[in-house]
Amino acid sequence: MTRLGSHVQLLLAVATVLILPLVMHSGSLASEVLIYALAVLGCNLLLGYTGLLSFGQGIFFGLGSYALGIALTRFDLPVLATLVLAVVVGAVAAMFVGWFAIRQRGTYFVMLTLAFSQMFYFLAYSLSDITGGDNGLLDIPRPALGLTGRPLLELSSPWQFYGFVAVCFVLVFWALLRLTNSVFGRTLLAIRDNEARAAAVGYDVKLFKLAAFAISGGVTALAGAFLALMTGIAPLSSIEYHTSEMILVMTVIGGTGNLFASVLGAAFYVLFADWLSTLWPRWLMLLGFLLIAVSLFMHRGIWGLGETIWLRLRGRPPIDPDDGSVATLGPVAPAAATGTTANTATATTRSEKRP
Amino acid sequence: MTTTPPTTAATAGAPLLRARGVVKRFGKFVALHGIDLDIMPRTVHSVIGPNGAGKTTLFHTLTGTLSTSEGSIVFDDHDVTPLADHQRVQRGIARSFQVTSLFANLSVRENLRLAAQGVHRSGAFNGWHRPEGVRAHAGTVDQTLQRMGLEKQADITAGLLSHSQQRRLEVGMALAARPKAIFLDEPTSGMGIDDLDAMKALIRGLRDDHTVVLIEHNMGIVMDISDTITVMQQGRVLVEGKPDDIRRDERVRTAYLGNMITGGRA
Repeated sequence: MTRLGSHVQLLLAVATVLILPLVMHSGSLASEVLIYALAVLGCNLLLGYTGLLSFGQGIFFGLGSYALGIALTRFDLPVLATLVLAVVVGAVAAMFVGWFAIRQRGTYFVMLTLAFSQMFYFLAYSLSDITGGDNGLLDIPRPALGLTGRPLLELSSPWQFYGFVAVCFVLVFWALLRLTNSVFGRTLLAIRDNEARAAAVGYDVKLFKLAAFAISGGVTALAGAFLALMTGIAPLSSIEYHTSEMILVMTVIGGTGNLFASVLGAAFYVLFADWLSTLWPRWLMLLGFLLIAVSLFMHRGIWGLGETIWLRLRGRPPIDPDDGSVATLGPVAPAAATGTTANTATATTRSEKRP
Repeated sequence: MTTTPPTTAATAGAPLLRARGVVKRFGKFVALHGIDLDIMPRTVHSVIGPNGAGKTTLFHTLTGTLSTSEGSIVFDDHDVTPLADHQRVQRGIARSFQVTSLFANLSVRENLRLAAQGVHRSGAFNGWHRPEGVRAHAGTVDQTLQRMGLEKQADITAGLLSHSQQRRLEVGMALAARPKAIFLDEPTSGMGIDDLDAMKALIRGLRDDHTVVLIEHNMGIVMDISDTITVMQQGRVLVEGKPDDIRRDERVRTAYLGNMITGGRA
């Protein structure tokens, strides 16, 4: 990604934050878009930048909800402190899960994250004294943002709350943009591309993956905490396997390897679900069709589709659908887009063979 | 490269790498039956032998890609036997692969930058700054580009390079780490006849600044540029010696190399 590219992405993210209130009636729904966008950003860091398909994102999301719920209902901590707490809890849990999961690759990595997902669900279910079990945590207050006990900013109305989430969202988005373009982030890309070579040139691959996990867990937990703060409940469903699946689906639909694609994926899913669920109770089936279409024809998700259309309109050749997602990542997108295709095929097959 | 990597094994005559009784088992199959090997600094040391002799497995154990089942490996006065591959890179060991293994979706320059950065492990965890300025390792990268003749391809995605260019980048990746010892696993494999001489000259030139350990099937190259040759057979060292000794050695001639030794290609 060029410097311009990441500026454009930040600009797009800020624009989204500003446009949502203009086109939407419900502040809660708008907040929900940004909250899930945060969770999807966390997932994208693992899937798009590190090549890890984690079915454990719901763990961190749920733990974030619980951490905030418990801190606010039992300990009466200030809101900002509870959010920080949620991030820490999420990051620590992610390091725990990651420490085991990254020992394996491919299928077994996925199965391990799935197993932990189940484990944490039943843990939350059985520890009903702490988590409220089947009922979840209820009546989570939403106190005003304050400094040393003095309330400064009310969060009670949906649009006030949206404003707060929006500021946090932009900050996190900006930090993740820097991260993905940093020396560290570029190394993650290298690990995704060729793990054996990354180790052979001196990188401790496991440590990098663990760090990516921790960051992803922290960001995802922040999303979970925001949702609990908004809805006033931390339901058992927030730590359910279904949450992991939903976050993954949003990530894939939006497109991986580009941070703004995650915002698109979350917005599309949340708004599509909101609209369709009022029309047809079986709307999830349509989502299934869409996922099939994305998996078959548009690996780069909605972002990739948009990019292809944009390039077509400007009369430039579209990026090869299988290779493009990664080609746009590197600082060499134009060369990849216009270069000869003979070697692209071999390069793609080679990278696909790796787990 | 103009700067010379520091060598702590200063005393001439002391090997840079000393392997003793290296055994590698895969389940019940024994790939290496106790290999002893001394690699002298500033030499080209070739390992030859028929397919399945254990050359690449030996390479893997020396560079840390595979762990050893038994035996010890001392490199530059440090016992590196328990170290993983990425840790041995920090000690000054770098390698290339027999089957080209690049970051195929990243540019040539980025490939080399990553290889140069890999030796500086603390800097790699910088999650805030772009790889610019000193973090770009531009000096090392440019030198390597020039040395490998890939300057014009610097901004091309590595996966789009021609086979010969990819092979050169493969060697460049090892070079960009500025290692004390550079392990090259069949650097010329699949190269056209035109590129062979250039690669041969390049490997020979590496000896000035590095110690080169080479697996190579092209006997012409091996005989011309090696200081020492180790011949392997069925997981054991058959003979070791200077090129002329190897060429004349009856065991090598009659045992299995046949007329290959006289210059034909395997």
